[in-house]
Amino acid sequence: MALITYYTKGILTNRNLWFWGVAFMIFWLVLGAYSFAQGLPRQSNILVPYTASWYGTIALYSLSSLAISIAYSIYYASSSLAYSFRYTKLSPLSYAGTLVGSSSVLGAILSVIMLVSTYGLFSTRFSLRLTPSNPIEAILISALAGIFMMTLAMFLVLIAVNYVGLQNINLVTFVPLILAYGFGFSQLTTPLPPALLYASPYNAIQSLLFQAYSGLAPPAQLDNASSSLLQWQYLFASLIIWIIMLFLIDSYLLRKIRPRQVEEGRQI
Amino acid sequence: MSSFMLSVQDLVVTYNRHSDGPVLKNVNFQIASEEKVVIVGPNGSGKSTLLKAILGLAPIESGSVKVFGTDVKEVRGDVRVSTNLAEVYRLAYVKAKDVVKIFAELKGGNPDSAFKMFYDFELGQILNKRIHELSTGQQKMFGNILAVSFSPKLVLLDEPFDNVDEGRRRRFIEVLRQLPAEMVVITHEFNLLQRLSDWGLYFMIEGRLWGKFSASLLDRLYITRGEASGSLAVMETSLGRLSITLDHGDIAVRTATNLNALLEQV
Repeated sequence: MALITYYTKGILTNRNLWFWGVAFMIFWLVLGAYSFAQGLPRQSNILVPYTASWYGTIALYSLSSLAISIAYSIYYASSSLAYSFRYTKLSPLSYAGTLVGSSSVLGAILSVIMLVSTYGLFSTRFSLRLTPSNPIEAILISALAGIFMMTLAMFLVLIAVNYVGLQNINLVTFVPLILAYGFGFSQLTTPLPPALLYASPYNAIQSLLFQAYSGLAPPAQLDNASSSLLQWQYLFASLIIWIIMLFLIDSYLLRKIRPRQVEEGRQI
Repeated sequence: MSSFMLSVQDLVVTYNRHSDGPVLKNVNFQIASEEKVVIVGPNGSGKSTLLKAILGLAPIESGSVKVFGTDVKEVRGDVRVSTNLAEVYRLAYVKAKDVVKIFAELKGGNPDSAFKMFYDFELGQILNKRIHELSTGQQKMFGNILAVSFSPKLVLLDEPFDNVDEGRRRRFIEVLRQLPAEMVVITHEFNLLQRLSDWGLYFMIEGRLWGKFSASLLDRLYITRGEASGSLAVMETSLGRLSITLDHGDIAVRTATNLNALLEQV
């Protein structure tokens, strides 16, 4: 229990997470409310999906920055983990379980901050109460999204640590964020095939958060309400399948973890 | 099952097969119950790599390491083994006191006994800092104290006295002497060995291990160029053959502060 508490505490005191995962995301929400919303009519049937699409996208970006913090923490701990699995009570499964608990809490915390910020900024801008339709659902989805980001970050770092080497570790740690921007922005503005949106965990998170905020079925293209609507059951199932699959692979890779010197990752 | 607490057989460790030769070359040694040994050697001789191999932190190319009878590759959850290596205490980015609590839980021990030792060594103030904020000597003592806390049975210490002031060195040596555990201490300093006279002594030079001698013989050991008759051991090194002899020889081991200086003299 000590590890999960201190792990969560350690990541929560990471200034990079607070800047890139919170402050920078609030900056984007300010742009969404005050700059990109020029000319929008003050009608709730337009403003609710508009606000929800910003919430879904920005919360996704925020959660993906959590993945960077988690990736770095695993990278720095490779020797410690190799030792601890042999000479302490820590097992690969219990460590992965610790990170599941920790990342779900962190995901929920980021989600609450984004929910409050989105509600405050967009309601103030439009002088209309744009209350989230189901905040509890949004927090639960974000907790799951936090777990997904953890399992993905762990998968990528363990592949680098165990097999590929640390020459490109800085790029590897940013892959979850890069994918989030790619998938998130695409669904915002581009008509993507529903099959791709169901298969992509990023779009599943974004769409489910849209639905939790707006109470509406998520459209395939978030800024086009007339595009085909997505089924939340498939999106949810996709996210769960990704989490289970990555968790199982991570548990296997953790057993094989190779101790590395952090200096191996230096570029300069 | 082996009767040794620690058994290293024909151990070869290579970090990079393509560019480097082996760091450890067919190393053999055993630690029996309640045995304490010190391994001395010049910088870069492979002492720390040997410790890492025992801990599962170095790539074993061939040979075996058995800890309490189990191959190190198969060991899981054996809380009896501890070390002072700083890199193993990096599980989370938290203050020193939280690292103590985490490892107390993971080792099934009581953090209060470790905290008491920090205060006994007048290091209570470091507990509220993160590890990277500590001085080199404080980091060393942090690892040292964690290594001897939580009732270990096999303690592996890498240069435990480096950058540690004389007063704390003396007190920590007493802790080590009184700890009821098998122990492997690695150092490149000779002047500490006189306080460990009842311990076993090995020399490590260029990835090979020579011994075991008794540390009590330190004042009587000499190094002689070539193969001397009646020598205790003959070491093959890049400097040629060197013999360890008793009571006579070219250079008295006791005259050197460390093995680097001794080899320079040779």
